[in-house]
Amino acid sequence: MTLSDLIHHEPSASTLQRWLKKVPYATYLGISAEVHGNEILFILPEDEKLIGNPTLPAIHGGVVGAFMEQAAAFHLIAKMDNPVLPKIIDFSLDYLRPARLRDTYAQCTLTRQGRFIANVSITAWQEQSDKPTAIARAHFLIPEREADKAPAKFAGGFTG
Amino acid sequence: MRTLSAAEKAHIIDRMSHSIVHTHLQGICLENIDGEELTLKLPYRKELVGNPETGAIHGGALTVLLDHTLGTAGICCDQIEPTITPTLDLRIDHLGVAPAGKDIFAVARIYKVTRRVLFAEGFAYCESRDKPIAKATGSWVLMPELRLSDLLLSTEAAAQQ
Repeated sequence: MTLSDLIHHEPSASTLQRWLKKVPYATYLGISAEVHGNEILFILPEDEKLIGNPTLPAIHGGVVGAFMEQAAAFHLIAKMDNPVLPKIIDFSLDYLRPARLRDTYAQCTLTRQGRFIANVSITAWQEQSDKPTAIARAHFLIPEREADKAPAKFAGGFTG
Repeated sequence: MRTLSAAEKAHIIDRMSHSIVHTHLQGICLENIDGEELTLKLPYRKELVGNPETGAIHGGALTVLLDHTLGTAGICCDQIEPTITPTLDLRIDHLGVAPAGKDIFAVARIYKVTRRVLFAEGFAYCESRDKPIAKATGSWVLMPELRLSDLLLSTEAAAQQ
């Protein structure tokens, strides 16, 4: 079953895990997910192969960004009424603290979903959720599915 | 302050890339130094795939490459001594898709230096510099008190143990 097929399943912890397994890079990073009520918690487990600063040691900042981007994409899919695979448009990341060599967590908020564009904000932390390691914002393009591509009616400007 | 030659810059970047576990494992390596402009290469590997249906590289793997290249561009900047610069923020625009099976190159330079902040910009491409697949801009904190030589010495000492 392809990822496009799988995303139509109810977003439980086990289906999220199956989505993640379909993405080679998410598997390589070791990302997992838990569902707590309405909230999805993404986890990047401590792993020495992710070290970017050997003296602290700290996880490579780019990896923290990659983890947050993957979390944002699957959070968005899980919240869609008619799931499709979104495409990343841009990603803006603020680093607040070094990511030490321990488990990192991420949670996302779907700030706005329009017809074509979604805005997702992401917070990543390690020991305390109120002391974030990084915050980020991602814009995604929501591809139109063939069935939705009905010819648009021109209403004579943007008044309608 | 003496300007480093391209060979001296290459030597420092080569030693750094061996000390940074993650980028070393990713196979990120020096491609070119042209004055203050740095180019690094990320070889294509199947484990970097983000879209299993097209084989395209994950946007996050590009984030790692661009964060690393823009950050390392500080070594090639002739206005400062080589130092460690933590990333403050990074913005990436995804302009295209990295085709399956293609190596990715990232080009970066520092365009402004202040006492505490380096401003960097760069882009990633596969086949032609004229067709970038991503653009990046960001700022890095200048911390001369974090000595690069200490990082290199500590990792070399650890490697010998």
